[in-house]
Amino acid sequence: MSEGWLETNGGRVRYVEAGDGPALVHLAAGGALTTAQALLGRRFRVVVLDTPARGLAPSAVLGAVAALGLERFSLVAGATTTRTALDVAVAAPERVLGLVLESPTSIGADADLAALGTATLLLCGTLDEETTPAARRCATLIPNAHLVFVYAAGRTIALDRPEAFAEVVGDFLERHEAFVIRRSTTLIHP
Amino acid sequence: MKVSFFETVRYVPPAAVPSEWPVASGTYDREAGARAYEAMIERLRSVEQLGFDWVSVSEHHYSPRILSPSPMLAAAFIAARLTRLTIALLGPIVAHSNPVRVAEELAMLDTLARGRLVVGLLRGTANEALTYDLNPQESRDRTDEGMELVLKAWTEPTPFGWQGRHFQYRQVSIWPRPWQQPHPPTYALGTSREACEFAARHRLGCGVSYGPFEVMAKATRLYREACARHGWQPTPEQIIYRANMIVADTDEDAHAILRAQPNRAPFAMRPGVRDAVAELDSRNIAGEKRAAITPGALPTTFIGSPDTVVEQVRRAREVIGAGVLDLSLHPPGSRDLEPLTRALDLFATKVLPRIRDL
Repeated sequence: MSEGWLETNGGRVRYVEAGDGPALVHLAAGGALTTAQALLGRRFRVVVLDTPARGLAPSAVLGAVAALGLERFSLVAGATTTRTALDVAVAAPERVLGLVLESPTSIGADADLAALGTATLLLCGTLDEETTPAARRCATLIPNAHLVFVYAAGRTIALDRPEAFAEVVGDFLERHEAFVIRRSTTLIHP
Repeated sequence: MKVSFFETVRYVPPAAVPSEWPVASGTYDREAGARAYEAMIERLRSVEQLGFDWVSVSEHHYSPRILSPSPMLAAAFIAARLTRLTIALLGPIVAHSNPVRVAEELAMLDTLARGRLVVGLLRGTANEALTYDLNPQESRDRTDEGMELVLKAWTEPTPFGWQGRHFQYRQVSIWPRPWQQPHPPTYALGTSREACEFAARHRLGCGVSYGPFEVMAKATRLYREACARHGWQPTPEQIIYRANMIVADTDEDAHAILRAQPNRAPFAMRPGVRDAVAELDSRNIAGEKRAAITPGALPTTFIGSPDTVVEQVRRAREVIGAGVLDLSLHPPGSRDLEPLTRALDLFATKVLPRIRDL
């Protein structure tokens, strides 16, 4: 694991990173890696950009990622960072490979969502019905979007069910819409 | 008070069959099986005419006692043949089912029957965990999650994935959706704290079965308290009490009928299996631990002359709060059906008119 500060046109951004593989940028509160981030670190180079409640400017996110030498990356956001992630995906669609919005809240204009070409995963906890309408709207408007309910999770899905979160997020970011095809086997005894 | 007839599909074998569960299927007689389903329809025509509101069917396996391993098929057969009775599917065993399939089939049934459907979702009796090789320790959690997924499949308009603990689907989007919107009247069946809490959280009905009034009342009280915590109050029709009833001309006659019935556990497993299952299968009534497997026959809580039974129903209404009685008027598995016909007539003429307005 490594951590530090990155200078960008949008201001200084603190980051933590771990793991190896395709880049996964998580807009979240900084600090120690969570269980879900550590699990994702087994398949991805996970970079957590410490995102304050007011959000980060898209230029800050893109600048920070560029400072780490990442050309293209997947982007994961939580309830408070949804808007930042959507703004980044709209501003630089060629750089964002896939988007995951956990418990999305502020989602912006319909036209922006309808124009988003990025494969997008919407996650809702079954114990948090408030975010479902926004997630459903994203799922309906974004052309390549998928809605997944995470059972027995509230708004902080990654904290409530880290293994379930890491599995679905990892699978989606690796395979995008093809993640609907099961890869694991049901064979019991060959 | 609404009244439901618990239909168990009376299979009358030409010779005695073994009592140990699973019952050897080599002793099955196909003619007797075919007759049982036809006779069920004839009986239900009578049940409908006698004024019952519902007919209930349930799911049990590997036994002639209740010959409806697929209650969906039984319900579809009934729906196609009868026009007035509401079909109470109590219910699919959620723990060992594919919940999405359950949601699809119930939505299809609700549409075929144009809304003559109520649904009870449940965990199943302890032996049923063995039917499809389910770990008994997981049956409670699988039931809770499965019930939630059934509700989601019925109501969510957008294709969705389900990242559960025991179930995982990447895409769910059922067709048809239920005829009744948002879904058929639905009950979480069982006396456990978990079932009561689930029902309250999702604004479902609650169904308890067989136990004495005061014991069942512990569960329905817990249910009503949980509903209040979730900001609503159930109607009497949202509480079902399934019970055995023996009604005869006199109290003495009724007790004589009970004494003549074998005191046999409904699904008697080999002792070593029964004890091992009971060890793993944890059950409770409103949070108080109870045995997972009943050693003898299920209790009969309504018994006596019509006058006596009417008073007992009045008490059940007051103590349990049930607005629906789901009645078994004759032990399932019995080879003699004449007493069932007699009990049906006596109940419909001497009891039913007097409990309607309770």
